[in-house]
Amino acid sequence: MEALPVVETKSLSRYFKGVVALNDVSVSISAGEVVGLVGDNGAGKSTLVKILSGDLEPSAGQVLIDGEEVHFRHPRDAKKRQIETIYQDLALCENLDIMENVFLGHESYRNPLLRLLDRRRMYRETSQLLEELAIRVPSTRELVMNLSGGQRQATALARVAKAGARLIILDEPTAALGVNETRNLLDLVMRFKAQGRTIIIISHEMRDVFEVTDRIIVLKRGELVADKLTFETDPDEIVRYIIRGRD
Amino acid sequence: MTAQSPADASGLAVRLPAPLVTLLRRRDSNVFFLLFVLVAAIVFFTIQSPYFFDDRNAFNIGRAVSITGIAAAFATLLMISGGLDLSIGAIMNASGLAAAVIMVDPENSIIVAFAVALGISTFIGFSNGIIVTKIGVNPIIATIGMQFVVRGMTLATRSGSALVRDRTFLEIGQGELVIGTLEIPVPVILMLTTMLLCYLVLRFTQFGKYIYAIGDNASACRRAGINVAGMRIALYTLSGLGAGFAGIVLAGLTGAGIPYAAGSELSVISAVILGGVSLSGGVGVIQGTLLGVLLVGVLKNGMTLLNINANWQMVVEGSVLMIAVSLDQLKQRI
Repeated sequence: MEALPVVETKSLSRYFKGVVALNDVSVSISAGEVVGLVGDNGAGKSTLVKILSGDLEPSAGQVLIDGEEVHFRHPRDAKKRQIETIYQDLALCENLDIMENVFLGHESYRNPLLRLLDRRRMYRETSQLLEELAIRVPSTRELVMNLSGGQRQATALARVAKAGARLIILDEPTAALGVNETRNLLDLVMRFKAQGRTIIIISHEMRDVFEVTDRIIVLKRGELVADKLTFETDPDEIVRYIIRGRD
Repeated sequence: MTAQSPADASGLAVRLPAPLVTLLRRRDSNVFFLLFVLVAAIVFFTIQSPYFFDDRNAFNIGRAVSITGIAAAFATLLMISGGLDLSIGAIMNASGLAAAVIMVDPENSIIVAFAVALGISTFIGFSNGIIVTKIGVNPIIATIGMQFVVRGMTLATRSGSALVRDRTFLEIGQGELVIGTLEIPVPVILMLTTMLLCYLVLRFTQFGKYIYAIGDNASACRRAGINVAGMRIALYTLSGLGAGFAGIVLAGLTGAGIPYAAGSELSVISAVILGGVSLSGGVGVIQGTLLGVLLVGVLKNGMTLLNINANWQMVVEGSVLMIAVSLDQLKQRI
């Protein structure tokens, strides 16, 4: 598969007050790929993800989107390129309902000049969207504070789908979920893939990673130590890379 | 999800009836509670004093709370977003004095007085916003600092009051709008209009939605592409503008700009909190603020009619605030 990469990094590095969080990392991810990003704590996964989502600027190196170099200074910049990140905290507003969270930052207006919200339309579209994604919630009017972990995760995913994300980055999506909820989430990832979206999953759960990914990238102490097609490797080998690094 | 009654999930030993639990769990439950307390207070004072239940007295209460109410409406928006403005009182004095000083010269137009007073207030509010968001100073510290700066500069400009004789200007504070047999004080109309405007903003606009969203999770909003810093600066600016407007109405009411008037920021903030806004942000409605402001006004007026001295009135006012906030804490456990 030699399609133009959706996202590419070239010798990406990031330093924090003398600490090297990311060192000379070059990766290339194609459209429709599901990539697992693994590594021990402090391996640089979050740093890489934050750079891709505009939350951090790199100290050196380049990020290319569709072959074009970009300089993200704010999460807004990444969103403009249809990159959406779901952090572990899910970044939901507990005091708002499901619809309000799904449309946060992408509201529809009844009057664009006064920014009067078209709530009826947004509720209708949220219901449609949740149906398409086979996400079940009690009501689109339910406040997020009353939702379970899986329902929150699904709300966060519905939000990025709504935003029209092409690249979705998931940070430890299954860490707080039960067995059934994890199942539903992985199914949702596969539905996103079927829609042609590209997905990066950070996870410690080898089983989840091996179930949904096409490729696995291993970081250790800020460096890329392995970049393997999932069907050509196995959990033992990946764990070895995570612990020992490059042979 | 199992079809559990909400009371089953409660950690309280006492089991509350289901409809009550549903009511308490509503976002705006304290509005019902305040309404109940307000009606109870009105009934109590009506029984105790023959002068209380009367449209003239009602408008006295309205006029007395209108200044706090105008400032509180804007402070509500700011506080729902998690902000706090302790320079409100100082801004009111500065704005009232500025307007009055300009009006001392009969040559000057009322429009100029308004523009200068509101311009100064807006600029102070904007400065608060910049210091809090761009430099990152804690809002309490930043706005206390601003309070001293503004108060000092106001007194340096003029140490005594500036009397206003302009009829039109005085109408803003002392005028009445006659509808049928009712003579509604202009400040009351201004307060209700301000509150209505803030209600519509909170309820129907994107700006209002973002106020709640930022109050709950500002970093989520930033990541959702919302200009959080811009929102905050706008809210501090509006708080300044609201305080400035309240200051002008106050000058109209008293007929003077008074540079040394006692700061009323704590009355404003306590009314907002009594109305159900949390200092940590994310919750509250403008109806709550209106009821909070009215409840304080009714209590003060009623107690005055019952000849309760001002010191004890303060004790009651403080206690009501503490009871309201305590009940709200207990509610979280349901």
